[in-house]
Amino acid sequence: MKPSLALLLIPAIAMLGNARAADTVREITLPSETEIYQASDLPGYALINAMCLTCHSVEYVKYQPPTSPRAYWQATVVKMQKIFAAPLPDEVIEPIVDYLVKTYGNERPAETKAESHRTMAHAGR
Amino acid sequence: MKGPSPHSSTRRSFVKTLGLLAAGGEWAGSLSRLTAAEKAILPFENGMRDLVAFPGKRPLLVLTTRPPQLETPFAVFNEGLITPNDAFFVRYHLTDVPTRVDPASFRLKILGAVRKPLELSLDALKKLATPVDLVAVNQCSGNSRGFFSPRVNGGQLGHGAMGCVRWTGVPLRAVLDAAGVEPRARQVSFDGLDRGLLDATPDFVKALDIDHARDGEVMIAWGMNGEDLPMLNGYPLRLVVPGYYGTYWVKHLHRIEVLSSIYDGFWMKSAYRIPNTPDHNIEPGTAPKATVAISRFNVRSFITNLGTNATISSGRETVVRGIAFDGGSGIRTVEFSADGGRSWQGTQLGRSLGRFAFREWTAAFTPNRGAHTLMSRATNGNSEIQPLVAGWNPAGYMRNVVETVNVTAL
Repeated sequence: MKPSLALLLIPAIAMLGNARAADTVREITLPSETEIYQASDLPGYALINAMCLTCHSVEYVKYQPPTSPRAYWQATVVKMQKIFAAPLPDEVIEPIVDYLVKTYGNERPAETKAESHRTMAHAGR
Repeated sequence: MKGPSPHSSTRRSFVKTLGLLAAGGEWAGSLSRLTAAEKAILPFENGMRDLVAFPGKRPLLVLTTRPPQLETPFAVFNEGLITPNDAFFVRYHLTDVPTRVDPASFRLKILGAVRKPLELSLDALKKLATPVDLVAVNQCSGNSRGFFSPRVNGGQLGHGAMGCVRWTGVPLRAVLDAAGVEPRARQVSFDGLDRGLLDATPDFVKALDIDHARDGEVMIAWGMNGEDLPMLNGYPLRLVVPGYYGTYWVKHLHRIEVLSSIYDGFWMKSAYRIPNTPDHNIEPGTAPKATVAISRFNVRSFITNLGTNATISSGRETVVRGIAFDGGSGIRTVEFSADGGRSWQGTQLGRSLGRFAFREWTAAFTPNRGAHTLMSRATNGNSEIQPLVAGWNPAGYMRNVVETVNVTAL
């Protein structure tokens, strides 16, 4: 025999009514990310999309100081591989670093550097 | 927030419960970005941030979405000395963040160099000792990192990775005593439910020396301003290490191990290290010769009621208000300067909420027409005073220079 929907709901309603905040299972849903890596013809662009989104969102890269030199990006990608155990084959490190420093670091083309300085001029607490 | 009576099973309370959930209670579940994010600008290059409301939080500055790192808008610090739970900053290290916790089945394990290993339910923990309340600031080691000059890499935070909260819990000492610490104990390590996606990623585990762990001040907290911890601040339990940087305040704390050795995991041995110099700073751009684990806050103060580019009235008395705090010696004095640090005047300290809390200060001055460079400078109970020139270290930790707010009197 199939229990009616009403019969099934009664205990559920009673449980909700009796629920004490302290006993309730707590559950959240985190917002989805919206930032994406800046498109590029550099070979590192496809690699970073394939390998660097598993563990963290794009802001880790995007918000670094635009003055960040190649040595920083190199050290960081190697840290991801050696310390955080990201399964990056050795041969992808150089193209990923090259993409990072030329897109977010101090080897960006001149016009994007000027753009970020304009943003700075508007900044105020 | 008033919930339905615990014993009522009327339809009315059911409807009320649904209403609370629908009204956006933290646990209501799905929360998506419905509209384009509002923006905030931190005053350094590349400082544009989205303002997004994560579960249990009002819109906060998004440093990273996954794992979540959220910064408190600075205006919140002018609204009161206690930071509201929904405005309190969020900092995770590893991607596998707990999003579902069943308080009925949750257990806190205490093991290692103890006579009697324990597995405590939340109810058992709460009955283990008389609960204590403590108002204490938690501050990220890298709070204000974005202001370092020359810039340093890492999370580019403004001043909003701090907050002052009334924590409720039991002293860690009571839990360690119940387990019976063995004489060979040297440190205690703390692990939360958060972890990396890959097993080989170093789990976020922190350690304190045994004497510190048993000092009676370190606590295991379940309450934040009278409510359960928000999930993103460590529900159901977090470590509270008064006066120490946030890195030690392990969230979702579920495993405490008493160690007969010095813990040497990545997050103690390699990360959160500061130069072993008197002020923990070095020549900009150089590498430290030796490092130590970061520990206690240095002394800081902020002007909270006026921001840079604010306009005030000339010839009329202006009250300037702010906050000061340190690692637990307490705030002795705060001085105020309206002329870029050439001259200083005393300020009035507000009521003390405890030596680990934000302390309010106020000062009055009557500006002439024109530009004014406002500063505050705190001195703590150990006679340590904020420096006028910013120090530098490669990880961008422990900024405590006298901060500046530029205003114009019209």
